[in-house]
Amino acid sequence: MTDHLDPMSSLGPDETDDLAGEYVLGTLSAERREAVEHRLSQDSALQAAVWRWESRLQPYTALAEPVAPSAQLWQRIERSLDHQDAPASTRSPDRSPAGHTLWERLWDNVTLWRGVSFASVLAVFGLAAMLAFGPGAQTSPRYMVVLMTPQHTQAGWVVEASSSQQLSLIPVGTIEVPPGKALEFWTKADDWSGPVSLGLVQPGQTQRLSLKDLPPLEDNQLFELTLEDATGSPLDRPTGPIQFIGRAVEL
Amino acid sequence: MLGVVIRIVGDRGIAEDIIHDAFVRIWNKAHTFDAQRGSGKTWIFSVTRHLALNHVRTRHREVTVDDDTAERLDAERSQEAATDTQDHFDWLGHGELDRCLGQLSPERRNCLFHAYVDGFSHQEIATRLDRPLGTVKAWIKRSLAALRECLS
Repeated sequence: MTDHLDPMSSLGPDETDDLAGEYVLGTLSAERREAVEHRLSQDSALQAAVWRWESRLQPYTALAEPVAPSAQLWQRIERSLDHQDAPASTRSPDRSPAGHTLWERLWDNVTLWRGVSFASVLAVFGLAAMLAFGPGAQTSPRYMVVLMTPQHTQAGWVVEASSSQQLSLIPVGTIEVPPGKALEFWTKADDWSGPVSLGLVQPGQTQRLSLKDLPPLEDNQLFELTLEDATGSPLDRPTGPIQFIGRAVEL
Repeated sequence: MLGVVIRIVGDRGIAEDIIHDAFVRIWNKAHTFDAQRGSGKTWIFSVTRHLALNHVRTRHREVTVDDDTAERLDAERSQEAATDTQDHFDWLGHGELDRCLGQLSPERRNCLFHAYVDGFSHQEIATRLDRPLGTVKAWIKRSLAALRECLS
């Protein structure tokens, strides 16, 4: 067997799927991993196959025991992102790293990347993490959710929770809501019988929510935005189509 | 997520470095990603896991042998290892793949999970299960094909 993967050679559907499966499992050598990663950017069939395996296997990451990150890790991430951002920024270099300033930065960046579709999530994700894991955050669980369209073609919102009772819903893209309609925000933990409304949300606006009447946020908790009448769902559950959906990842 | 990375790289300090690097990479590469086909959650895990896998594969580049050599070495190797009928992972009840995974033998499931969860290479799995390298490679390839068929 050769360990070389010719980036120009064509693969049949099964070969593509095998390669994607081994890449996601992690059994490929460093050289073949490199070749797959290079090829991924130009081979949409391979890309699709990789995402199929990623989606199928991801739930089994739970077989690794959870470990809580140290507070220092998030301070390091924050410092690095500060450094990365510095050349493009007009901010004072000695600004306070407190949450408010970071928040403003996040907002600025969200605006900057609005409309850049999924790519922008990556940046917002990093910034939101910076927010959630700044110096103020110590030992409470931190969660991140990327809310995407049900077809996973576009991210619309990021949810970040610096504690199990407080969360922020941050818009990523431009969202059109038809006249007479509204977006309603829902959440449901795995063992709840049904979703609970967190209220109506304004497109393009960051909302901060308290979950004090609800059980603490948990890993894999579902969040979704549905399209409802302007006054919200008439029932205690969603009645309109899901616009954005995602599950919480505990960092 | 930190637990997933520690399991692959085997060291907390390195795992924290990788999570740090994942965030910085996300920041820097924001404009180069195309539309994705996974959920937000899948994507978060994917980016982080592949950084961890790249780390262990690059650190421990394997001396690869061609298939003929592997076959000869395998033939020389003791075949007396008892069939391992025990699952090494409490895999049931995690995902949609359960039904199809249930159709594989425990030993083949062990191969898949030692790779996916522990980040083991073919050689490491062969050593862990005391099976010939060629057998492990073939099992993984056939297991993936069986899963694909089961899902279709």
